[in-house]
Parts: sequence; C-alpha cells; structure tokens
Amino acid sequence: MGLTNASHSHVPYSSSLQHGYNPAEYANYYYNYPQATNSCSVQQGGANQHSGAAYQPLTSFQNSGSYVDPTSNTYYNAGGHQTAPGYATTNYYYQTDTRNDGSSGNNYAQSYQNYPSSDTNAAQSSSTVPANSFSYQQQYNQWPYYYNHSVPTPAGNPVAGSSNIDNTVVNTTSGYSYPSTEPPPPGTTPWKSNSSASVAPPVQAPSVPEPQNQYVQQAQLTPGFQNQYAYQAPGVPMSQNYYANQAPAYPQNNMNVNQVPLNNHGDQQKSGSLTTGIFSSENKTQIPTIPRIAPGFSMVIPKSEKKTVGADLAKKPAYVSVSVPKNDVKAVQHGSDARSLPFSLRNYATRNLSRCKDEAQRAACQSMIQQITSKAISNGTLLTKNWDTEPLIPLPENLLTMTETSSANNSSSLPNSTPRRRLKSRWEPVPEEKVTEKVEPLAKPLMNGNTHNNLKAQNRMGDSWNLGKSLQSPHAPSNKITHRLSKKQKMGSYSSVVQNGDNSSDSDKEKDLTKYYANASALANSPEEKKRREHRSKRFEKSKDSSSKSRNSAVNKGAVAHIHTRRPISALVTGSYKDGSSLAVEDMDWDALTVKGTCQEIEKRYLRLTSAPDPSTVRPEHVLEKALSMVETSQKNYLYKCDQLKSIRQDLTVQRIQNELTVKVYETHARLALQAGDLAEFNQCQSQLKRLYREGNNGCYFEFSAYNLLCVMLHSNNKRDLLSSMASLSKEAKQDGAVKHALAVHAAVSSGNYVIFFKLYKQGPNLNSCLMDLYVERMRFEAIKCMSRSYRPTVPVGYVAQVLGFLPNGDDRSEECEIWLKAHGAVLSVDNGGELQIDTKASSSTLFMPEPENAVAHGDASLAVNDFFART
Amino acid sequence: TPTPSAASGTPTPPSRRLLGSAFLQEFRNWETPWAMEAMHMVALEIRLLAEKADRELVMSGKNPDKLQAAGSFLMKVFGALAVKGPKRVGALYVTCQLFKIYFRLGTVNLCRSVIRSIETARNFDFEDFPVKDKVTYMYYTGRLEVFNENFLVADQKLTYALMHCNPQSESNLRKILKFLIPVKLSIGVLPRRTLLEKYNLLEYADIVTSLRRGDLRLLKQALDRHEDQLLKCGVYLVLEKLELQVYRRLVKKIHIIQREKEPSKAHQIKLEVLVKTLQWLGITMDVDEVECIMACLIYKNLIKGYFAHKSKVLVLSKQDPFPKLNGKPV
Repeated sequence: MGLTNASHSHVPYSSSLQHGYNPAEYANYYYNYPQATNSCSVQQGGANQHSGAAYQPLTSFQNSGSYVDPTSNTYYNAGGHQTAPGYATTNYYYQTDTRNDGSSGNNYAQSYQNYPSSDTNAAQSSSTVPANSFSYQQQYNQWPYYYNHSVPTPAGNPVAGSSNIDNTVVNTTSGYSYPSTEPPPPGTTPWKSNSSASVAPPVQAPSVPEPQNQYVQQAQLTPGFQNQYAYQAPGVPMSQNYYANQAPAYPQNNMNVNQVPLNNHGDQQKSGSLTTGIFSSENKTQIPTIPRIAPGFSMVIPKSEKKTVGADLAKKPAYVSVSVPKNDVKAVQHGSDARSLPFSLRNYATRNLSRCKDEAQRAACQSMIQQITSKAISNGTLLTKNWDTEPLIPLPENLLTMTETSSANNSSSLPNSTPRRRLKSRWEPVPEEKVTEKVEPLAKPLMNGNTHNNLKAQNRMGDSWNLGKSLQSPHAPSNKITHRLSKKQKMGSYSSVVQNGDNSSDSDKEKDLTKYYANASALANSPEEKKRREHRSKRFEKSKDSSSKSRNSAVNKGAVAHIHTRRPISALVTGSYKDGSSLAVEDMDWDALTVKGTCQEIEKRYLRLTSAPDPSTVRPEHVLEKALSMVETSQKNYLYKCDQLKSIRQDLTVQRIQNELTVKVYETHARLALQAGDLAEFNQCQSQLKRLYREGNNGCYFEFSAYNLLCVMLHSNNKRDLLSSMASLSKEAKQDGAVKHALAVHAAVSSGNYVIFFKLYKQGPNLNSCLMDLYVERMRFEAIKCMSRSYRPTVPVGYVAQVLGFLPNGDDRSEECEIWLKAHGAVLSVDNGGELQIDTKASSSTLFMPEPENAVAHGDASLAVNDFFART
Repeated sequence: TPTPSAASGTPTPPSRRLLGSAFLQEFRNWETPWAMEAMHMVALEIRLLAEKADRELVMSGKNPDKLQAAGSFLMKVFGALAVKGPKRVGALYVTCQLFKIYFRLGTVNLCRSVIRSIETARNFDFEDFPVKDKVTYMYYTGRLEVFNENFLVADQKLTYALMHCNPQSESNLRKILKFLIPVKLSIGVLPRRTLLEKYNLLEYADIVTSLRRGDLRLLKQALDRHEDQLLKCGVYLVLEKLELQVYRRLVKKIHIIQREKEPSKAHQIKLEVLVKTLQWLGITMDVDEVECIMACLIYKNLIKGYFAHKSKVLVLSKQDPFPKLNGKPV
C-alpha cells in the first residue's frame, strides 16, 4: 500500500517543477535537431535507408549510450527525468506518424534522426541530455518487450516464451494498461472492475523490492503507452501514467543501454545487419496481429525493436538502488500531505463517499477525491479552494463501461483547473455529459500508481507533442506547441470520450480510430497548420536532391503522403459529429468542420444549417464567384438577392474562405441591403466587413467607413460609438470624399442645420444617401418644428419644399411637400399672392409625427406578404 | 491555470485572483471591516497587474483579456462590500477601481449597475464614504454624464470632484478640469486664461477665445488642430456644439454695432449682413444656410426674436434678445 501512497507523494515533488520543463524540452529538441546532421551516424542512417535496414541507427545510438556512465543519470535530477519522457514521446510519435503513411523507410529515417542527437549529447556528457537519449532507448526496447507479454495472452505469440517469471506477474498487474491497445482478451474484463482499488499497488509493488521486476514492469508499461498512441486517441493522456512508471525505471534503462553496447560492442555495422535480420523475421510474425488492432496503420517500428528485447531481458542487473530511495521519499511526502488536509476537504470527501452505493463506486470515488486533492495541492489551491461549495463528484454509475481509457480521459481533463469545467457548456447535450462524468471517477484507480498530478504539465506536453506530431510532418517545429495547447487538449478529450463510448469490439475500436484520426487530420488541415506544413515541406524540397540527406526526402515523402491520407478522412468528421459525440460546442474543433464544397449549382436557396454542412451542397469558391455575379446582374427583387447572398455567405463561412471574394460578397449584400433599407441585414454585413478589413482584406474600406459613421450617428445615436468611430478614422480616410461627406452630415445633424443636411442628402456619394434616407423623415420633422417656431408670420411651402429636399414633381415641387406638411399637422394658408404658406404660429402647436403608414406588425415592411409569395 | 504571461516572471492575474478569492472568502466571513485596507490593496493590485498583463499580451500579439477578468473579480469584491453594515464604507473604493477598468476597456455601460447600487442605497449616506473615493467616483460619473450630454448633472458631479479634490494634487485637478471646462463652456461659463495656463489646458484656449469673439473660423481651426486629442478624451462632440454659441455671439456683436450706429433699427439684422460677415470670416455659406442657422438659434432659445422670411430679416426681441444661458444647456 505504501506504494500507492508513494505515487501521491510525488505530487509536490514535481508540481513545482512543472513549469520550467516545457521550455526545456523545446530547447532540447532544437538543440538536438541541428546536431543530427553533424553526428557520425548520419551516414549510417543514409545507408540504412537505402538498404531498407532500419536498425542501424538504433544500434549506433545504443553504443553511444554505453559511453555514459549510467549512474550519472540520477533520478533526482528532476530536469533530466522530466525532460526524458517528453522527449521519448516526441520521437515515438514521429514514428507513429510515418508508420501511418505506410512508408517504412520513413521510420528509419526518423529514428535515426533521434539518435544522432543523442549521440552528440552523450558525448558532451551533460546530465540531462543523456537522460533523453536513454528514454529513447528505453522506449524502443520496450516496445517489443511489451509485445512479448501482451500478445501471448490472447494470441500466444512465440516470442512470449522469452519472458521470465516476473513477466507473468507483471502482465496481470499491468493488464489494465494494454487492453486498450489489444483487443480485450477474456481475461481483461475482471481487471477493469478490480482496477479501481487493486491494480495500481501491485504494479509498483514489485519495483521496490525487486529490481528485475521493476524493469519488466517498466518495459511493459511503456509499450502500453506507445501502443495507445499508435492506435487510440486516449493514448495521449494515458502516456502520462506511464511516464510516472517509467521514472523509477530510468536507471534500469541505462543498464539496457550498457548491455546493448556490450553485445554490439565495437562493430556497429555488424549489429546493424544483425538487427535487420531479426527485424524482418519479426515483421512477418507481427503483421497479422496489427491489422486487427489498427487496420490501416502498419506497425513497422515496434517489431524492429524486438530484437533488442532479448538483450534487454538478459541484462537486468542491480540498478534498483536508485529507485528505492525515491519511493521512500514519496512515502514521506505523502504522509505530510495527509496531515495537512484541511477539514473542509475531509468533509467534502465524506460527502462524496456517502453517496456511493457500492464498493466499486466507493473506490472510484475515493480515488477521484485523491486525485482532486493532489491536483489542488499541485495547483496550490488546497487551502484556498472552497471545498464546502465544490460540486460533488458525479457518481460512477456504470463501472463496466469505464475501462482503462478513462484514465486517458481523466488526464485530458486534468489540465483544466477543475475536471468539470468542460461541462459548463450550455450547448452540450445533457445525456452526453454523463459519459464524461462517468469516466472521471474511474480515472484515479488507473493512475493510482502514478504521479499523474505532478505530471500534469508534462501531460500537456505529451498531449501536444503527440497530437501535434502525429498530425504534422515529422519535423514540426516544437515552439508552436504552447499556442496550440488548448486545442490539443480538446482533441485529446474528444478522442478519449469517443473511445470510452465503445471499446468492446475490434470494429468499434476501428471506428474510434477513424474518428480520432479524422479529428486529428482535420485539425491538421486548419489554415495555419497547412501553412506551417507547406513551409516545412518546402524546406525539405530544397534538400531533397542531395542523396546524403536522404532521410529528409523520406520524411518529406512521408509528410506528403500524410497530407493525402488525411483528405478522405476529414470527410468522416461530419459523420463522427453526427454520431453524437459528447464534445461541447466550445470544445469542438471547428477546423474539423471545414468542408470543401463540391456543388456546382450557381443558384442555391439559403437554409440555416442545423447540422454539419454537407460538401455536396456547398459550392466551391469559383462557383460562388459565378453566383455572386449572377446575383449582381439579376433582375429579381431584393428578397431573392438577399436569400442568394445569404447562401453564398454561408458557403463561404463553412469553407472558411476569407478573402477578397468574401469582402465582395459582404459589400454587395450590404449595398443591396442599404438600397432596400434593410438595416438589420446591413448591420450584419457591416460588422463582418469591419472584421474582414481589420484582418487585412482589401475592399472598399472608405466607402464602408462612411456608412459606418452615418449608421452610428443617424441610427444608433450613441455618442460614445460615434466618438470611437471618428477617432478610429485615419488621416487618409478623412480625405476620402465619402468619409468627408459623412462627417459633414454629422456636423449638420449636430447643429440641426437642415438646409445643409438636405443639400448633402442630394449629393451623397455611393449609397450615403440611402443611409440618410432613413433619417430624412426625422430631420424634416425637426426642421418644420424649428421653422414654425422661428419664422413669423408665415413661410412659403415652396421654400420649405426646396430646403427640405422634396423632389420636384413636374414644375410644382411643393405638391409632395404640401401632402407631407398636412400629414404632419401643419396649418397651411394661401396668401394674397396666391402662394401657399405655412401659418407658423398656428402650426407650432399642431405639429405631430404621424404613425408610419407602412408600418407592419412584425416591424419590417420589406417582408410584405406579396413579396413573400413572390419569392417562390 | 498558468498563463502565457508567466514567462515574463510577473505573477499572473489568475494566480492573484486565486489569492484574491481566498481572501475575499475570508473577508466575507469577518464581521468587522478590519482588513479593509488589505482588501483594497488586493483590488488595486489585481487591476494593476491585469493592466500590465494585458500590455504584455498585446505586445506578444495575443488577445488581452486579463483586465476583463479582473473586472469580473472586482465585481465580486464589490458584491462583498456593498452590503449593509460597516463594510459598505469600502465599497466606493472598489467601485472606483471598477470604473477605471471599464473606462479603459471602453465598456462604460457596465458602470451603470454599480452606480445604481451606490446611489439608490438608502441605508448609507453617500457623504459617509471617504473623500478620496467620493472625488474619484464623482469624476468618473461626471465623465459618464458628459458622454450622455447631460451637461447639468455632469457639471454638478465634476464640480463636486473639483471642490473636494486635494488641492495639492494638480494632476488630478487637471484631469477634472479637462472635462469640467467643456461642460462649463456648453452651459455658457467661460474660464479665465490663467486657469487654462495653470493646468496646461491650452487646447481649450482658442475655443474660449472664439466664444468670446464670436470667431467661427477660430473655433473650427481649434477643433481641427486638436481633433485627435479631443476625440480621444471624448469631449469633441461637446465642443463641436459650441458652434451655435459662437454664432450667437457673432449676431450679438452685429447687434451691438448696429445699436451704436442706428439705435432705432438695431433689432433688425439683415440676412445679407450676416452672410457678409461670415464671408469676411472666410466661411462661405449661402443665404439659405445662414437663414437656417438663425432659425436654429431662435429655435434653441439662444436668441429671442423671429425670422421674417419674406424680407430676409432677423428680428430680435427688444427685451433681452440674447438671454444668458444661466447654466441651461443649449
């Protein structure tokens, strides 16, 4: 039991360190990368690729490892320790990536890439870097090892024979880790139910007293995590668990390293060929199993590593000494944690536990509490959090559905300060929330032996690395990771949730896989992502010719292949969303919904989308251009045009097209809306245009700045908005005719100068007059009030008609004005000369603003019934 | 959650907010306001840090959202303070911090709810708040009234702030005057030039001069010259409206000259005279436009009298043709 505790005690230890390491990892990564070319193994790698022998690099790396004194890699060197896992993952992921592409050559190239870097580092004998190299080693070695153990259970792999007694023990304990990758063997189900309480302790238990045991376990666990990466989305978070397990085992890895060199010793070439041989033979044996696990993804790499396994197994000597003290420390730390728990937290725990109906729930709940506590400790919120108001942990209702994948889910939710934060979404369907909730409680048991909390930071790293790498070409720059973290996490949680839903059968798993990859690939298809990728592949194209850098070309091919494989997959996304995944709307990766339209029809009715867009009904850009010009030249009424433009806008939006065409569409629509007096639609377009201009799309910026000014001053009448609109005008904008006109209108309105207003109304550039149109009535009424107040005794209607911008009707322009004046309650009289006059004194008390004649109940006269029928 | 600004080494607002919420939690439970100063310090620190973090976020091209978050936290603090009892004394300080955030963010409409809860409280006399908070509060609410063109209330609030402000703190006095002067101008109160000089508010000097002289050209020039600055601090629209007052002054001057020349016909000002005067000032306006302006002056009670359209003559009232604004806005 002390071991389980130990894992928790880990928390404070690394939590403080979390931050610093991410940068460190990046740094290391870059540090290594350039060096790759310098290292001696480069040539070898090249040779290998041509021959198709993957393992040359690996062996060379192992040799390098042997130069380093294994003891120098102390566990207590937190930096080294933490960096290592992250590193390992990255490298590993490169491989997964390429493997998916199906080009085995790629793998070698990449693995080889890693080695050179580790070589050089090792030579420099820096304390952290060796750790990195070891971790690579470790993972590579462990892969096959894992296979040895895991495969026998269901399939009876011949290699299993090589495992020793410890293996069997470990196998059972670690079983919870691999079901996710393997089709669940009959024996696995019991573990799931037990896992909450019993599994974790045994896992670590052997590691303390017995070095060999630990080693074995280590070996098994790591592969488990690798497997998950390879096949399943949840693997991402999962990996964190294994980091923790791996940590103690580092020393032992060193041993492995040493031993491998022993075998290979001086002659790298020899060992290379040796391994190749083994590799190929193993390939044959493994291939049958692979399709079953993850159809479509060839598993080249893991097999090749097998050859080392045998060697590793033989060499398990006495590195235990390092890991044992560590455990002690943990135990002590844990003790102090327990003592410092605040009373309110203990109450919180009691409240949660009291809700549990049976033992399983209890165990799950307990572990959740532990997890929350340790998270709080690592966050520093243990004492600050109001435990009294903290929401209770959702009860695990169906323990059976919670498989080992829940740990993945859990760790993916960990990065959020509270696991339930995601549930806030008001859009999220209620039943689907339950899935996530259900999953959480079980997460803890699985992590029991692990220090998942401390590793949270790493967790994210792992997340981002894996996802990022798996999607991108292998050379993805690592420095962008931080920016994309959140997205990656979402991805992780999404995929884990998906997986959680069904992992009962192979086919289900396949589905999950596809979903995950669809999701992932969609992410990779986002514009920035594409840009980056393009940039990267261009980089490689330059060096493609030189055969000495053949690894680059291999990588490049891989990247290209990858892009191609992604295409069809992205189409699946739609399906996976329709399936009702439990992803919150906010968490959804909208990039995934970006479709590429195939519809060739120019005309399309607008229909507000209620589901993911169907590419067959979405028009691609060139068709949309035709559609726009069709609308522009169409003779039909505004409602038809508005409908068409809205559908064009929708197609642009779902395809995420934001360019000059988009601007043009919105401008066209805004103008049409202005002409039709449809202010609501105009405002929609205007706000989109503001954004588009701000993002640097060219268009009629000045024209629409003027519209904006007029709109603010005449319609919203918000002084603050007006001020900010005016303040945001550039010097050039103020020189523009339309903007000048708008500012003049403002001056006229603010001083109430109706004469100037109507003069400007007549000479408005563009559609400025259309906007003023909507203000004319008010301005006229204000003017006539002013006149009736200030003029005595009369004012001629003809003059009023002239200054108030009434249009001449034949030779008598005052006719319309007369009607208007009468409608507004003005008192008219005919003077001696027969001229129609307004009796101002009488009018001043009788003026009124009539109800607009064309008012309709729904407030929009343009939606008249006749027009509505005319639409169809 | 850690934030990007953690890289800069400054404590991040979220972590501060954790501390802040913890403190607030305890503060709520304390019956006496003994930790008021600490609470205020927390509020201040959170605002300042959020501002700093936002600056850094902007520099690194990210979305600055920290100040907004700080605003919502301070709203909680306000909630804890704006209660019955001794803690209420501290509520105004937090209100002022909130004002500062909202004004910086440009979301001044959010001030309304805070103002309502301060001003509608019956159980606490506004005068019982600390003076410094009252001054800050009046300054910001006065500015809000300037935006709303509620000049009388704005004048009242800003004057209160000016009267109670520490006379030693010239920068604060200047800030208040920056808004108070335009407000006073719009209700017809002109400052002495020495005041403008003392507080370095000379951007208003030309405007004041133009009001004294009825020099429309000078007003337009002054507005043009300081347009950006005046737009930024939000008084441009207020000053723009002074135009009518300048016209009135001009008419008044013409009236005075006519009275000296020909007392019997002094109250009748021919439209062509006005047009000529404006032309002399370099402002070309046609007869209709000038006529409209005269109509507006009468309509807005700046001039007593009427306009005879037939004869194109502005007829001034014989009694007090240019009524004093007397604090009434145009």
